[in-house]
Amino acid sequence: MLPEYFEFFVPARIAAGRGMSGSLGPEMEKLGVRRAFVVTDQVLMQLGLVQKVLDGLAGSAVEVAGIFDEVRPNSEVGLVEKGPGDLPELARVAGADVLVAIGGGSNIDTAKGMNIILSEGGHLLDYEGFGVITRPLKPLVAIPTTAGTGSEVTQFAVIKHEAIHTKLSFSSPYLAPNLAILDPELTVNLPPKLTASTGMDALTHAVETYVSTSWNPIADGLALEAIRIIGANLVEATTNGGNLEARYQMLVASTMAGMAFSSGMVGCVHAMAHAAGGLFDVPHGIANSILLPYGMEYNLEARPEKFREIARALGNDVEDQDPKAGGWTAIEAVFDLAERCGLPRALSEAGVPEEGLPTMAEAAMVDGAIFTNPRPAEYDEILAVLKKAY
Amino acid sequence: MAVFQSDVEVYDYIGEFISSVKDDPAIGPKIRQAGIIIRFVYREPQSQITIDARNPAPEGHFYTVYYGDSAVEPDLVMSMSADTAHSFWLGKVNLMAALTRGQIVAKGPVATALKLLPVIQPTYAMYPKFLKEHGREELVKFG
Ligand SMILES: [Fe+2]
Repeated sequence: MLPEYFEFFVPARIAAGRGMSGSLGPEMEKLGVRRAFVVTDQVLMQLGLVQKVLDGLAGSAVEVAGIFDEVRPNSEVGLVEKGPGDLPELARVAGADVLVAIGGGSNIDTAKGMNIILSEGGHLLDYEGFGVITRPLKPLVAIPTTAGTGSEVTQFAVIKHEAIHTKLSFSSPYLAPNLAILDPELTVNLPPKLTASTGMDALTHAVETYVSTSWNPIADGLALEAIRIIGANLVEATTNGGNLEARYQMLVASTMAGMAFSSGMVGCVHAMAHAAGGLFDVPHGIANSILLPYGMEYNLEARPEKFREIARALGNDVEDQDPKAGGWTAIEAVFDLAERCGLPRALSEAGVPEEGLPTMAEAAMVDGAIFTNPRPAEYDEILAVLKKAY
Repeated sequence: MAVFQSDVEVYDYIGEFISSVKDDPAIGPKIRQAGIIIRFVYREPQSQITIDARNPAPEGHFYTVYYGDSAVEPDLVMSMSADTAHSFWLGKVNLMAALTRGQIVAKGPVATALKLLPVIQPTYAMYPKFLKEHGREELVKFG
């Protein structure tokens, strides 16, 4: 039976291919823009990746109006609205008519936040929430250098507010980038652990959205195919990072998972991972990787058939298995995948103190992601899942 | 035609219903625990209800309800038509879908509102009873 109502959000134009960033200029010309303000970080500058991307503007009508290269691992409110000299101000003074985010989720989310203030003015806190932004912002181009967050196609942004120790969440179709450039050559430098953890983040998006209460058939198709691609390519991309084909597959799969969860949403694994990140600085992908099999186990009874489909997508023969047994096959396959990628398998290995679990459970209970979890979760149940994953 | 004809009607039914729960021993404390201020801004007819579960409430109540303008600064503002609000209290609105469709706009930390959903679940059965007790049973079918 189809959902009574669903909305599938068709995001950015996606231009993908090996060396695609070399065509950045012509691709951006199609947006009708001329002056680009670039948002990125020091690591990518030093690796020469930013230069490689910007070389793609050569000979085009698009020029670089300015570069900000100091985004840190979390997008921060302070960068976006500290007043004179902040990012929107720099872009405005530079006469930018388009923002170009190069990097992982933090860089892209920072550019999204910056775009709100650049286009609308005011303070980020004024725009936190669901549907508060009601008209198109300035064009935004996203060029991911990791294969994980899907931020290049989502309508979400999460930005840390240092002063009030909280993360602000923004959701609006107008936040989505207008153009996403997928170039696997930009991801070959990603170290094995980051490749694996960001890839497990993408897998978690796909799995959680596929079983979510906000599921829809269009997102399901994308999610299931993303699961298949990640299952077939994550280990290779991790252990043989120079394999451009595996890199390309992962990059496309993470974007597909991003398209899926932009409408299908996520669930308790993300709620717990957000808590682990906020309280104990556990990297998002690592937390998801550890928690995903346990979250699947908790949710198995709510969606057994779909979990069996996940097992199938991950390459298992589940013909003779009933849905629940098939679901268990999926859980074991996910556990196995993370292990083969050399990722930590328990929260205790990821810097979480045991006495911190109750606080984590409390934080997960007030995280928006838990709301679309397929099986209702109470505090005690989430705490039990966390203890199992410890 | 809108379910409620004036802001006074919104306050008499939705407002008084929300107020009637503020000393409920099962639900009140859980709303108090959320510790936040939520403002509902309605249109058709234009009206506004604010629930303050942060500042101290009068003796015997777990929170304070304000009708119309109020000086307290809300953490979260939920905007919708009064019809949508009526349907919501009848338990007929899927909040996630309503947010996606833009029928409800939530400004602020949405997760705090989502957290309250399971808490207020029992009230969905109480609202029709409340309307009946106040002689407006016919409104139930306008969910
Ligand atoms: Fe994620």
